[in-house]
Amino acid sequence: MKKAIIAALLVSSITPSFAQEKVKYVEYNLPNGMHVILHEEHATPIVAVSVMYHVGSKNENPNRTGFAHFFEHLLFEGSTNIKRGEYSELVEKNGGALNANTSQDRTYYYELLSSNQLELGLWLESERLLHAKVEQTGVETQREVVKEEKRQRVDNQPYASFMENMFKLAYKNHPYNWVPIGSMEHLNAAQEIDYVNFYRTFYVPANAVLSIAGDINIEQTKKWIEKYFGSIPKGEAINLYRDFENLTDADFEAKYSVKKSAFNAADFNNPKDAKAKDVLKIAANKAIEIPRPKGMFEPINGIVKDTVYDNIQLPAVFMGYKFPKETDADFAALELLNAVLSGSTSSRMNKNIIEKKEQAVAAFSFAFNMEDPGMGIVAAIAAGGVEIPSLEASLNEEIELIQKELISVEEFEKIRNQFENQLVSSNSSVAGIAENLAQNYMYFGSTELINKQMERYMSVTREDIQRVAKKYLTQDNRIVLYYLPKGN
Amino acid sequence: MKKLLLLVAISAITGVNGQIDRSVRPKAAAAPAINIKNSEVFKTANGITVVLSENHKLPRVSFNMVMGASPMIEGSKSGLNQLMGQLILSGTTARSKDVLDKEIDYMGATLNADGTSLYLSCLTKHLEKSLGIMQDVLMNPAFPESEFARIKKQAESGLMAAKSSPDEMAGNAERKIDFPNHPNSDVMNEASLAAITRDDIVANFKQIFTPDGAYLVIVGDINKEQASKMVDQYFGSWKGTAVYKQDYSSLFKNKGNRVVFVNKPGAVQSVINVTFPVAVKPGEKDQLALNVLNSIFGGGAFGSRLMQNLREDKAYTYGCYSDLQVTRDGSWLSASGSFRNDVSDSAITQLLYEFNRIAEGFVTDDELNLAKSVMAGSFARSLESPQTIARFALNIIRNNLESDYYQNYLKRLDAITKEDVLNMAQKYFTNGFNIIVVGNEAVLDKIKVFDADGKIEKLDAFGNEVKDVKKATITADELLTNYVNAVTLTNSPKALAKKMKKIKSISKETSITIPGAPMTLKLTEVNIAPNKEAMKLEAQGMVFTSSYFDGTKGAEKNMQTGEKTMTEAEITAKKKSAGFFPEMTYKSTGMVYELKGIETINNKDYYVLATNDGESQRFDYYDVTTYMKYKTNSISQQGGESAEITVMYDDYREVNGLMIPYKLVQVIGEMSLEGTVKEVLFNSKIDDSLFK
Repeated sequence: MKKAIIAALLVSSITPSFAQEKVKYVEYNLPNGMHVILHEEHATPIVAVSVMYHVGSKNENPNRTGFAHFFEHLLFEGSTNIKRGEYSELVEKNGGALNANTSQDRTYYYELLSSNQLELGLWLESERLLHAKVEQTGVETQREVVKEEKRQRVDNQPYASFMENMFKLAYKNHPYNWVPIGSMEHLNAAQEIDYVNFYRTFYVPANAVLSIAGDINIEQTKKWIEKYFGSIPKGEAINLYRDFENLTDADFEAKYSVKKSAFNAADFNNPKDAKAKDVLKIAANKAIEIPRPKGMFEPINGIVKDTVYDNIQLPAVFMGYKFPKETDADFAALELLNAVLSGSTSSRMNKNIIEKKEQAVAAFSFAFNMEDPGMGIVAAIAAGGVEIPSLEASLNEEIELIQKELISVEEFEKIRNQFENQLVSSNSSVAGIAENLAQNYMYFGSTELINKQMERYMSVTREDIQRVAKKYLTQDNRIVLYYLPKGN
Repeated sequence: MKKLLLLVAISAITGVNGQIDRSVRPKAAAAPAINIKNSEVFKTANGITVVLSENHKLPRVSFNMVMGASPMIEGSKSGLNQLMGQLILSGTTARSKDVLDKEIDYMGATLNADGTSLYLSCLTKHLEKSLGIMQDVLMNPAFPESEFARIKKQAESGLMAAKSSPDEMAGNAERKIDFPNHPNSDVMNEASLAAITRDDIVANFKQIFTPDGAYLVIVGDINKEQASKMVDQYFGSWKGTAVYKQDYSSLFKNKGNRVVFVNKPGAVQSVINVTFPVAVKPGEKDQLALNVLNSIFGGGAFGSRLMQNLREDKAYTYGCYSDLQVTRDGSWLSASGSFRNDVSDSAITQLLYEFNRIAEGFVTDDELNLAKSVMAGSFARSLESPQTIARFALNIIRNNLESDYYQNYLKRLDAITKEDVLNMAQKYFTNGFNIIVVGNEAVLDKIKVFDADGKIEKLDAFGNEVKDVKKATITADELLTNYVNAVTLTNSPKALAKKMKKIKSISKETSITIPGAPMTLKLTEVNIAPNKEAMKLEAQGMVFTSSYFDGTKGAEKNMQTGEKTMTEAEITAKKKSAGFFPEMTYKSTGMVYELKGIETINNKDYYVLATNDGESQRFDYYDVTTYMKYKTNSISQQGGESAEITVMYDDYREVNGLMIPYKLVQVIGEMSLEGTVKEVLFNSKIDDSLFK
């Protein structure tokens, strides 16, 4: 019997099918263009309600950087039906939890609720989408909060400005040129019209994915979604509705040549008035154009070097390589490549540069997961007395070695094991599943990829790792940043 | 075309459904049934109770071996078990620490340990190999001497840091006062750490880690047949001593309120903690209602009573909370916060007022509902983790709970009434509070009134009783003279004057190490008669900070904050403490000084001299027999915060007729720096650039 178990274990590790538990889901579009993904599982009576908006810092006006993230803060301020401060209170009073975050590519909001509160979560998120309301006090408060956030996370953290500096040099014609936290001067300069335009352009159903995972009944959930999100007007009609709520009678009539009273607030989509019907129909059929930068791969071409003086004690070197976008076939191989270099105590940079040569106190490499072609970073913080050029030379040696020699079978097995472990654990919570589903749909255009991750990584060969090392980690596809202590 | 029609049809239907009153907030549907799967429980021949919580959602498994021993009273070796836990993963007789780390790494697995448990988590397919390693650690730990020395050193730095943390000091006092003669009151201190040997560690491991009475909690992708086979294979041959059991539940409660004070010189805030032991064991009938009471009182959301009164209404503090801990070996409640000195007494008054108020009348419906919702929500969310389910199963066994205890949790929570909450308050929130205050001696007089007999007990940073400072039999001036004579090896004013006349300058170089940092720093200090001085701190040619004072002006340069010239006030203060031995001139420079008395530290007596130069307060400790300086605490105020620096002196050596300490330890906040003097030069050539 013991033999049988061992044999079974052996077989399972040899067969290429690294079994991944399948995540089941249904998905569809609402008539107003909102994409809906539902995952039903009853293990625990909780539900994650989330909305991912396809807007991040890369959609910002270059004179209003940091706006997408700032807007995320503002959208907790309330709505036509939710008073200031009440949004999070409503969730907490009902025993739930909530939060949000913003990247270069998307903004993500979620609530974790007891499953009998699903309808509350849907109502809250639909209020945020349809008619969020921001008062001046809210703008002022959140501006200060965001500034504190920047001080705490960037300005006050040694080396933390590397991302800003790296992307600024690497992207000349793409809005990855700046980072999500953006510029505080830009936030100070923001006018009301900026908020209004941002909301009217990006916070519309066709730009959002509603992803729900947990203890739900699909049929009942669909009915509630129809009620709260299906009733949100399509195309430009959502902004007609917003104007209906916000403009004075005179302004509204001047803009649309129809009186506000021709519409009915309780049943906005079905006005009795013929003229109103007409205006609504035209608006609904007019799609909102969402500006998106072109995600072309833009090679660096030639070595770019720069030096940054920071509040640090130990110098450091950051090397940034242009990487393909996350959806590219090479991306998985690049991630495995990173695991060879760093991330565990037995990885190459840790063993050779930190432990053996004692040249660094920290050494790491990673790739930014981005929708458009992003970057990979290889970096190290010098140990005392170590000159940056010698540390840089050691990092280069490691990269050259991977380019020259295939990694060993043992090493290859190790990183596959590590990835398998990570992937298996990535869908362990309903909150994680809701986000993964939405992200796969939004970035890759395929929700089903959530079930193909294991295949994607496990199909990478040792030769692939060597090939992408040669293709991307080249001398003229990189930015080199030296970080040196300020002063003296 | 057909499709289009269908679309129209749908949108028509949508239109009908489009009527919606968005101002109506959705009501919650019926509360979902909580279904907590039963765990399998079985026992092994060598005494391990196995709790198996099967969950095949993901192909991973965890094995948590939890020891069944009761905590032991450690007394003079307090902190032993904690230290042992940190050493379990430092290698086995078969695997060095490096090999152990590497093998775990290869599988992407996790192995953690503390003084009473060993935890493994891995993918199902790596289970056998991982269990092999877990077995090795459990049965053959090596506790290598070198790792023992390293971890002990780390703990020493930790203790130094504890002395500057008022919260930690309050926690230590709480454990000592709430639980006398109980394992909870075993707080590690310098003497107890020094007393712990590697043999103690090995013996403690043997005593605690034994299969008898142990619990093995298995969670994840494994069935009962496989689990029982693995347990047998890997832990069946494990042998050990009989499990140590002791009942510590006989708690006592004070008759009247008792004030306990921990001195934190220079503190601008007092940490106040009103605490008392609670005679409730896990799962007892009162526990849940007591939890609801605590949530309303100060343990729950922003709207709890303590927060509303002491922060929102009175603005005494940034935050004030209560905490209820229920454990098998002793339970307690504490209500605490940090309050500025001038409201320390008012804060105690309000805390006591809230204890009384909640015992005098019903809580409101809103308060009760909010508390229940928050508790129900976090309970429901916690169920997603299979680890929670296993923990419940373990609690049911260890605490002798009804088998449906957690299944009925929400039902019982929902049934709790305002009457229940009031009953709990009247039963447990009665007089007999331990009021712990960590802060400035200036608040002492004001807090006496809260003590039943008006006598305040004083504890040190680790909760040990401080005997009141003994009165010194000499005067402050005599102490200063004795000290100066001792360090200059002279015995008369004339001899002293003669010796000092020959000294034009002293230049000292010290090498400084920071634990965990890869580099050593070089500190250069120069003193020129009569009162010029300069210093520079550098590493590899990079100057981090430097400062000088040339008798009339001075400045400080810092790599990060730039240059700052000395203010008038700073210059005035500096004049009082400059010179080779500033103690020689205290009298003439106008330094304020006072001999506080004799304090005993680690069984040795020291004179404590308090000085104040107008900018900072200092406490110098002088050995009562040799008069050598043992340590200095300096406290300065910066923007309402007090900063404390402690310097300890050791290894005095005679150089050119003067006694110079060659070993220095400086503690700032959590950082401790060790300095070794490398060179002392007299009347050497001085680099003028130091004074610019």
